[in-house]
Amino acid sequence: MSDNFIERARYTCAQGGAAATVTALPGGIPILHSPSGCAGNFAWSQNGGSALQVGGYCGTLAMPSSNIQERDVVFGGDSRLREQIENTLKVMDGSIYAVLTSCVTEIIGDDIKSIVADFKNQGVPIIGAETGGFKGNSYRGYDLVLQSLFRDFLERGVVKKKKQVNLWGIIPSYDPFWRGNLEEVRRLLELLGLEVNSFFLTDDTIEGIRQAGSASLNIVISHTYGLEAAALFEEIHGTPFISLPLPIGASATESFLRAVSKAAKVSSARTETVISTEKKRYFRYLEPLTDCITDLDLQRYAVVVGDANNATAVTKFLADDLGWLPELAVCTDVLQEHEQERLQEQLKHLESRYPVSLVFETDSSQVRGHLQKKWPVTGSGKYQNVFGPAFVIGSSLDRELALEIGAPHLSVSFPVANRAILDRGYTGFRGGLRLIEDLLGAVVAGR
Amino acid sequence: MSNIDLKTPPKREDRLNACIAHGSTICEMAAGKGKKSCLQNDGDRSFTQGSICLLLPALAMLNSLPDNVVLMHGAIGCGSCTHSQNANVRFGTTQRQGKARDAVWISTAMNESDVISGGEDKLELAIIEADRRYKPFSITVVSGCVPGIIGDDIDGVVLKVQPEVNARLLPIHCEGFKTKIWATAYDAVYHGIGRTLLREGEQPATADGLAPFKGLERLPNTVNLMNVSSMGQIDEQELERLLKLLGLEVNIFPVFAHPESMVKATQAALSISTCPTHDDYFLSYLEERFGVPSLIQHMPIGIENTGLWLRDVAAHFGLEEKAEQIIAQEEKELSEALSGFRPLFAGKKVFISAGEFRALATARLLEELGFQMSGIRSFHHDKFAEVEYEKLAKSSTEDYVIDIADVQPFEEANLLRRLKPDLFLGHANGNGTAAKLGIPTHAIYHTALSYIGYKGAFELARRLQRQLRNPSYNRKLAENVRLPYRDEWYGDSPFTYITKGATA
Repeated sequence: MSDNFIERARYTCAQGGAAATVTALPGGIPILHSPSGCAGNFAWSQNGGSALQVGGYCGTLAMPSSNIQERDVVFGGDSRLREQIENTLKVMDGSIYAVLTSCVTEIIGDDIKSIVADFKNQGVPIIGAETGGFKGNSYRGYDLVLQSLFRDFLERGVVKKKKQVNLWGIIPSYDPFWRGNLEEVRRLLELLGLEVNSFFLTDDTIEGIRQAGSASLNIVISHTYGLEAAALFEEIHGTPFISLPLPIGASATESFLRAVSKAAKVSSARTETVISTEKKRYFRYLEPLTDCITDLDLQRYAVVVGDANNATAVTKFLADDLGWLPELAVCTDVLQEHEQERLQEQLKHLESRYPVSLVFETDSSQVRGHLQKKWPVTGSGKYQNVFGPAFVIGSSLDRELALEIGAPHLSVSFPVANRAILDRGYTGFRGGLRLIEDLLGAVVAGR
Repeated sequence: MSNIDLKTPPKREDRLNACIAHGSTICEMAAGKGKKSCLQNDGDRSFTQGSICLLLPALAMLNSLPDNVVLMHGAIGCGSCTHSQNANVRFGTTQRQGKARDAVWISTAMNESDVISGGEDKLELAIIEADRRYKPFSITVVSGCVPGIIGDDIDGVVLKVQPEVNARLLPIHCEGFKTKIWATAYDAVYHGIGRTLLREGEQPATADGLAPFKGLERLPNTVNLMNVSSMGQIDEQELERLLKLLGLEVNIFPVFAHPESMVKATQAALSISTCPTHDDYFLSYLEERFGVPSLIQHMPIGIENTGLWLRDVAAHFGLEEKAEQIIAQEEKELSEALSGFRPLFAGKKVFISAGEFRALATARLLEELGFQMSGIRSFHHDKFAEVEYEKLAKSSTEDYVIDIADVQPFEEANLLRRLKPDLFLGHANGNGTAAKLGIPTHAIYHTALSYIGYKGAFELARRLQRQLRNPSYNRKLAENVRLPYRDEWYGDSPFTYITKGATA
């Protein structure tokens, strides 16, 4: 990892994450307060990294944008923004509008708060977020939009409903598996008898989001993303939150459901019934795989490279469920120390007690070096203990590593240039099965 | 002082009076100087959608350069478009070098404290570390909006650090807010190449001061074929084939050309543009400083255009007769090959949307295939395209709409609902609107596909036949999803939000 640059960053800026987040809301219309190029930069980022998902109802080049120019930089962009919002309301059909600032408009000090407030006071469903690219990456932008939504859009003082929960923690599009991952968790929560608002799925409505303050519990399926928003939610609406790792496969999902049940006060009888029904199905499906798993010797060493949600969650699944040997996990996000510790903590308590090294490294080209440190090839001549048979699970940027070590590869974390993902997800029991299909499918592809 | 002596190239709205906001028709655009065809004052829009900035096309070129590191000086998001461009790089290197190679792009990822205290120190360290880690031939130091506003002097940093590193350092200015004409990107890249890799003074002085780069000879039979990042190797091969039939040797620049080989561009007897929007800045430089004459008209897309392009080249070398033979033979073979497609295409209406030259040349080709134009959106307008509007005005029996717009899909949605074309050809990330309206769509460029020359005419026809034979995907999409515009918008004029500039 370099102190001076980030190589092939696996995300875009705060505004890009924010724009994708607004696009994913029901009837969401982002209004970029930006130079013209930001929207296109995000369109091309998704085109190359989001597993063939570009935009949505109003994304990419359809997004309204003030397209400020040099004269606005000199004289200020406030009046241009007012004009842009007024005309956006005439042309674009949305249920929520979100003004998102850029590097340029923040540095020149445009006052979006008062502009947005003026429109809000006229009854326009509008929020604003300061998402200048220098504030952080796309995950940061996701959190900033959620904060703004919780602060300025959600109705305040609504009556709490005992069984109502909100679910978030996965960024739309910049996690190409966001839909599938949210859907499976939502399905499981509903089996527990909970009513779920998940903001970004087709089952969600803008009215449901407006009433999200009625939730008794917020569930963030991340140890990293969306947590500031969760704290703000609690402060404003008094709903506590629980932050749990992305649950992939049977073991993680079992713990996830027990933790949620405890926090949401679901009876343990009901929870155990759900777990046993789901697990029964899961293992019924795995059962016929057993012969080939053994006969074809499908156990693998693995390197897992991914964002803060996926790096540890996939690693845990490999170690605790599939019985693979994930020697090295690489988290490609730039994280603060306490965030890094939370992720380290996850891998210290694996059921399998498999000793995984988790490193924090943004740069694809440096992963090989970490692997050599972790697994120096011992022996010589014909008796070498090489790292193999191996598998590389990461982004499409990790294909080079896979080629170098002669391993198959699967893209599961942004950028995913080489797969088409619509509602595929790896969370829950069903997601665990999908991941096994995809991993073993890659191993036997030449069969 | 010429433009190349400036730190940054002038923006095209100043240099070429280029514009992006105008609603017009083909007849008006072709009406001659003093009228709509020579816009002196661009319009504005009071409602706009996002598009791109010069950074994107600049990176599309820079990422393709072998042995080069693209060092982005800006916030972390600037340049994330490379994730898509990297697919082109992988495809292009597979074709040219037999092995997929990922581009190497890095970012100084300027944060809040860099915005306050400046990013020059960080940039300096980043250059030094990139040089040691990747050992590249060159590092292109690309500045985004943030350094442009806070006043980081990337040229100063490059000048200071150059003696400490092995890589050649090319500063490339891509501050997006400074120009609305993203074709300024080509000037920015060529400016960096010209000033750094082909510096004046590195060639020995001759009587007329015009000589190839130091140590190189003039090659009387060699031409520079200027490619563009939207053109794949398959299209380069088609043009190379035609030029070789004339007996010429071909050097291809600058996309996928090794930076070290750029000096060879000074040896050629002629530079040939394939897209006048792309190359005028650099070709003028080669002509002024190294005495390499150039041709910059006609894009070799379409039957007539390819012939015109080839005739110009032949005339330069006195090979007119040979050219006529080649063209006659090519057109005869192509005409026979196309005959089977014509009944399906005859009279079908098509709407085209892309960069100006590409859009207009492709429109001519589609007319040649039997389609009828129902409208064109050019992403900008400048003087180089006037002759193309004239060609199209002459070949059409009916007037049709021209929308000068830096994408702006809301205008397009409005137009398409009125015009109901049978086919839409659009730029990357620009076909979604037409698709959601149920119109058959095809990409107007893709580096894996053939578009250019005689071969391109045939291959495009083959693909359009495929799209027209089964447009079910778009039809079903249109039945089930809607565009994000209010119903009232479709009742307004498509040019309602164009202010100041004249509208039709």
